[in-house]
Amino acid sequence: MKLELNNLTKIFGDYAAVDHVDLVMGNGVYGLLGVNGAGKTTLMRMLCTLLKPTEGCILCNGRDIFKMDGEYRKLLGYLPQDFGFYPEFTVQDYLLYVATIKGIRPTAAKKRVKELIGQVGLARAAGKKMKKLSGGMKRRAGIAQAMLNNPEILILDEPTAGLDPNERIRFRNLISELSEDRLVLLSTHIVSDIEYIANEIWLMKDGRFVHRGTTDAVINSMPETVWECLVSKDMVSQFIKAYKISNMKTEPQGVVLRIISQEKPMPDAKWVEASLEDVFLYYFGEKAGEENAAI
Amino acid sequence: MLQFEIRKVFCKFKNRVAIFLLLVLLIATSILTMNRVEYRDAENGDAVSGIAAAGKLRAEQNKWAGELTEDVFVEAVRENARINQSPEAQSEDISEQNKAYAKKQGISDINDLMINAFSEWRDYDYFVVDRVSEEEAKQVYARRISSLKKYLDSGEETFPEAQKEFLIQRYESLKTPFHYEYMEGWKALLQNISTFLLMLALVIGFLVSGIFSDEFQTKADSIFFSSRLGRNRAIASKIGAGILITTIIYVVFLVLYTAVVLLALGADGANCPIQLDLWRSSYNITFLQAYLLIAAGGYVGTLLAAVASMVVSAATRSTMTAAIVPFLILCAFPFLSRIITLPGLCSFFPDQLLEVYLNIKDFNLVELGGRVMSVSTVIIPAYLIVCLCLLPVLYGIYKKAEVK
Repeated sequence: MKLELNNLTKIFGDYAAVDHVDLVMGNGVYGLLGVNGAGKTTLMRMLCTLLKPTEGCILCNGRDIFKMDGEYRKLLGYLPQDFGFYPEFTVQDYLLYVATIKGIRPTAAKKRVKELIGQVGLARAAGKKMKKLSGGMKRRAGIAQAMLNNPEILILDEPTAGLDPNERIRFRNLISELSEDRLVLLSTHIVSDIEYIANEIWLMKDGRFVHRGTTDAVINSMPETVWECLVSKDMVSQFIKAYKISNMKTEPQGVVLRIISQEKPMPDAKWVEASLEDVFLYYFGEKAGEENAAI
Repeated sequence: MLQFEIRKVFCKFKNRVAIFLLLVLLIATSILTMNRVEYRDAENGDAVSGIAAAGKLRAEQNKWAGELTEDVFVEAVRENARINQSPEAQSEDISEQNKAYAKKQGISDINDLMINAFSEWRDYDYFVVDRVSEEEAKQVYARRISSLKKYLDSGEETFPEAQKEFLIQRYESLKTPFHYEYMEGWKALLQNISTFLLMLALVIGFLVSGIFSDEFQTKADSIFFSSRLGRNRAIASKIGAGILITTIIYVVFLVLYTAVVLLALGADGANCPIQLDLWRSSYNITFLQAYLLIAAGGYVGTLLAAVASMVVSAATRSTMTAAIVPFLILCAFPFLSRIITLPGLCSFFPDQLLEVYLNIKDFNLVELGGRVMSVSTVIIPAYLIVCLCLLPVLYGIYKKAEVK
């Protein structure tokens, strides 16, 4: 499986949500990291044929996905950010319906639905109406529908958004389990979601990739150093103004700051190993706002 | 897939309420229709209506069942005169007069024909029948044609020559003498059917209005369109579900309404000519044929409303906007025709599909390619073609939909 993005661009009005992106993907887990409004969802929607690019093309094994039409979508599993469903359908009926529009024959669909319901841990809720499910259960039903056709390309847009830490870990493990032998593209703005499971991480900002590579490569790409130092509470605001602070921890003796800086911020500061969160902060800085969140 | 699409529609609480409302309307309209049939007891002059009235009226009127020949009209004139001479009819007491009226119920339809035949055009002189002589009574069928010719020549309304000829030809080709029997069930059914069809069309339009837009409103659009069949067969199955729901609900409720009315009031008279009720009609058809024509018009009107609603649903992605469309098509057009003078055009408005009964009753003609035709026989196939043409448009709109 090979997906190729050539000069891919999507413009809404005078705003380029995805700006001349070139990329090649094979099997593996790709983590798309960026603040809200970076263009992750737009990119994913184009990959799912939900949006047509303004410029450029997406090739699947050398063929344009929009020309492949159903043939391409046959290979696709998608869990959107705003996962919508039919509230009055039971989990089982919902999955059977999605199986039908995915072109799976009824007998095979029944078998597959039963199998997936078990795999995502919804066996006891199979007869429950979708609207009665908790957030985590809905997401699990969402991943089950994405997996119905055993897709070669699995696209998950913010799959852990709104989940509690327990559910998030469970969900992350589930994705990891399902990612074997396929191309998985996972977008998130929660760093820990992809830190452990992605083979490659792409940092996206203003519709472009600012950096991409393995977790270590991305971390090493940061030209600055991470320091930790203990400061008194009244000094904190001064440090915030002067440096990028990736973490603050209040302790009885003062506040432990995690500072991203080329120079040692104070004589007592200790060098520490950088994490993906530090990189995230370095590249995206203060601009982790909600503007254009759906883009 | 089709089954799931249909389930999606009927899973919605709002749509279940709509079906319940339709059942209530069915019951209410059936009761109102049944109560159109009245019978007055000859013994005490008291009136009853509904099922009880139908049975008694049937017994009275079927005494006159058969071919309405000249002799039958003469006999009816004699019977009418005999009743008029009775002490009850001569009395000043209203309850006594009611008893006299009750005795005329058996010949009321025949009297009605004579009233229509001997009244001025577009007039209904209730007492003219009391003045008709036995000789004149033999001229009922001839009067129908001569009255038409007189009216057409009067210049009261201007008809092109071709339309005049068409009407005269239709009048002359009507088979006489009429076959007559009790037919109150059909009469009542046809008189109330347009209102019921309108309500049916509006509710069906409401039911299908969310088939396309709900995918967007529930945010299920991303999964739908990214699925293998989401931009082809799944759309076709949505269209299929819309048409199937329209057809099934229309047929089921129309059959229920018809069955309730005819079971209660009697289905006799299906083969009687429609002129027994609509004397001036230019349609040479029976009650049953008129019913089928009205039902066909109603179906095409309902289908048009439903398809238009689905097109708007797909284009605007708003169920509420789509639900208004049937109302605009079927209710706003008649309103428009009242405020804007478009005499020629109004007959072609889609609301006329649900007013076939009025079209049968009145002269509503159109000349196409040198051929004169009744408006109903033109608009029913024409709007059916419009519906069929809208289906690929609907398919195209949804196929190209983007999820932004």
